[in-house]
Amino acid sequence: MTKSGSQYVIGIDLGTTNCVLAYAPLTEEAPRIELLPAPQLVAAGTVEARTGLPSFTYLASPHETGGGALDLPWAAGRDFAVGEYARRQGAEVPDRTVGAAKSWLCYSKVDRHQPILPWNAPAEVPKISPVTASTHYLAHLVAAWEAAFPDAPLARQKVVLTVPASFDAAARELTREAALAAGLPEGLVLIEEPQSAVYAWLAAMGDRWRRRLTVDNTLLVCDVGGGTTDLTLVRVGEEGGELVLDRMAVGNHLLVGGDNMDLALAHFVAGLFAEKGVTLDPWQSVALWHSCRAAKEALFAAHGPETHTISVLGRGSKLVGGTVSVEVDRAAVGELLLEGFFPQCTLGERPVRRRVSGFAEIGLPFESDTAVTRHLATFLSAHGEDGGAVYPSHVLFNGGVFKAARLRERLLATLAGWFSGEEAPAVLDPAADLDHAVARGAAYYAWAKEAGGVRIRGGTARAYYVGIETSGLAIPGAPRPLRALCVVPFGMEEGTEVEVPSQEIGLVVGEPAHFRFFSSPTRKQDRPGNLLPTCAELEETDSMETTLPADEDIEEPYVPVRFQSRITELGMFELWCAGTQTDKRWKLEFSVREEGEG
Amino acid sequence: MHRLLLAFRAFFRILFNRALAEQIEPLLIAGPEAPPAEPKPAPKPKPPPKPAAPARSEALTLLASLQREARFVDFLRESLDDYADAQVGAAARDVHRGCAAVVERFFALRPLVDGEEGKEIEVPGGFDPGRFRLTGNVAGSPPFRGRIVHHGWEATACNVPEWTGGEAAARVVAPAEVELP
Repeated sequence: MTKSGSQYVIGIDLGTTNCVLAYAPLTEEAPRIELLPAPQLVAAGTVEARTGLPSFTYLASPHETGGGALDLPWAAGRDFAVGEYARRQGAEVPDRTVGAAKSWLCYSKVDRHQPILPWNAPAEVPKISPVTASTHYLAHLVAAWEAAFPDAPLARQKVVLTVPASFDAAARELTREAALAAGLPEGLVLIEEPQSAVYAWLAAMGDRWRRRLTVDNTLLVCDVGGGTTDLTLVRVGEEGGELVLDRMAVGNHLLVGGDNMDLALAHFVAGLFAEKGVTLDPWQSVALWHSCRAAKEALFAAHGPETHTISVLGRGSKLVGGTVSVEVDRAAVGELLLEGFFPQCTLGERPVRRRVSGFAEIGLPFESDTAVTRHLATFLSAHGEDGGAVYPSHVLFNGGVFKAARLRERLLATLAGWFSGEEAPAVLDPAADLDHAVARGAAYYAWAKEAGGVRIRGGTARAYYVGIETSGLAIPGAPRPLRALCVVPFGMEEGTEVEVPSQEIGLVVGEPAHFRFFSSPTRKQDRPGNLLPTCAELEETDSMETTLPADEDIEEPYVPVRFQSRITELGMFELWCAGTQTDKRWKLEFSVREEGEG
Repeated sequence: MHRLLLAFRAFFRILFNRALAEQIEPLLIAGPEAPPAEPKPAPKPKPPPKPAAPARSEALTLLASLQREARFVDFLRESLDDYADAQVGAAARDVHRGCAAVVERFFALRPLVDGEEGKEIEVPGGFDPGRFRLTGNVAGSPPFRGRIVHHGWEATACNVPEWTGGEAAARVVAPAEVELP
């Protein structure tokens, strides 16, 4: 037990489609990481403990909750369900099922505190906000933990929660808000998922990792999850004769993942069924989706078969009679998935900007180009020096997609083609099973923070900018062309603070002051106070706002201020306005409530 | 024949009906002519009362799980007489994959003995007859040496789901499904 009374370290993977909790007792010499089985509804009135909690919420109609059908061992009178039952319901009652709440969290075009999900559901369906949905999943894991470990309340343990590396400051803030509402401790630490995958590898390797990597190696973490693709570069450096790891760069938030592949294959196979005159109902379509995932893994295994039979069972109680099957062959599936998602391309190619119909859900900005290889080419090119691209000497795969050997091989072959003068990138053997590595890695990171162990240094993965008008003492909000004032440099470390040198900015007393807020994952050269002539190449995120209360004894109608930015020990970003003529300062908050087109 | 049928019906009704089971238990233990009063002092102290016993048998929950995830009951209840083997096979593959996943998750089955079937094995003295079944020329005294005919199976877990629903649905294996337009 530590001084703070913690008995365990806990890593939580809050996934787009699946949540996992891993833990290790702090009382032992070495981290022994286990996965928590989470009791959850798998059918009405049936609670089963499973390792993962599918990130779905089913909002039941009042007629479905009788007889305690949705009750849990720790909660009676429930009118919603999360987990496996909710995921199943999603197929047949999509209007009442919330999915992909996490992707909504980082989508600044909507108000993420408003009850907007299920998106486009009819009026009589109750709705919840993306933050509330995330809170539901985390609260469920907290309750499952406390049922299993009644003597070790979760709020007293060392908890690490994972977020996509591509999450910006506003999305991280919302994640933290959901986590605290669910009962996670104030001392909660957020870690980027690809880094977590590296920690899982480090945990499995022990000290042997120092023999596997050498100084100046660059590690590409390629994390293709169910719904998102997350890319990260980690560089191996040296300090005092010891190897150290530095996170160099992270990619943009890409809404393309394994589910797209399974759906694309299911769409293709449904076409084969249609040729036989068979149309599938929703239940069968979901069954088909699962069969397609199994088919993908079988056909794409290292020595997979040439053909695979996909069957869909008859609906109703006539099972055998209604079963229909088609054969799919490896070449056709390869053509569809390899060329659709991992096409051979050159390093100079860029994602194509166009709408692909088929699996785009209204609302979320799904990638119009599903080619992971083209996104990877863009990423490596964006982070190279002197106009060149970064050459990754090693690759670490993460995410269930890479269970399929041929997808790994295709990605590696493409990479090797880009860097033909270099040695082909080496694959680091994935640590644990690909579905749980992120949670395990998070638990290991929590352990390393407590008990000591190698850490990846990172700092912020983006530089942040405030949109500003500089002609004289500007009043924010005036519709004039914007310049971008750098307030946080790339790689700013946790527990540090900077004063941003700039002209004075006037805050009007008693009125909310809005600042448009931007970020860039690639501008590593900008220092605090640098002023960019335009915001065009930056990504806009939620604006920030603060209000100076009129009752504070300020005589002037406005107060001149400068910015101070701070990254807390827990990795949270804070922006302050400090008066230049007073010693007062005011914290800016993300105005995620007010955001929108207009 | 009538008694055989009655025995089967009694078996299943006792299995699924807790109240009936409690009525029948004294009949089987004490015999019908024994006086119902004065129960004998229990040989062992009674275990503490279980907190809220589940309202349905775990056997039924297992059956419901196999049906929900693998359509097992539909498969058993359908006559195979009218179908060609290929058609049965196509359905069986899916049912098989689903059932295997359920059984593995609930019971995590592992072979009881290491070693391939056909290989020699030694059965030590004092073995548990529940764990080894000896066949062939069973003579002499242990340790016995013999050939593994079947490696056996053992459940390394028992994670049958918990029933939290109401009394009315406790016997339901699969709900009737109605699609609203």
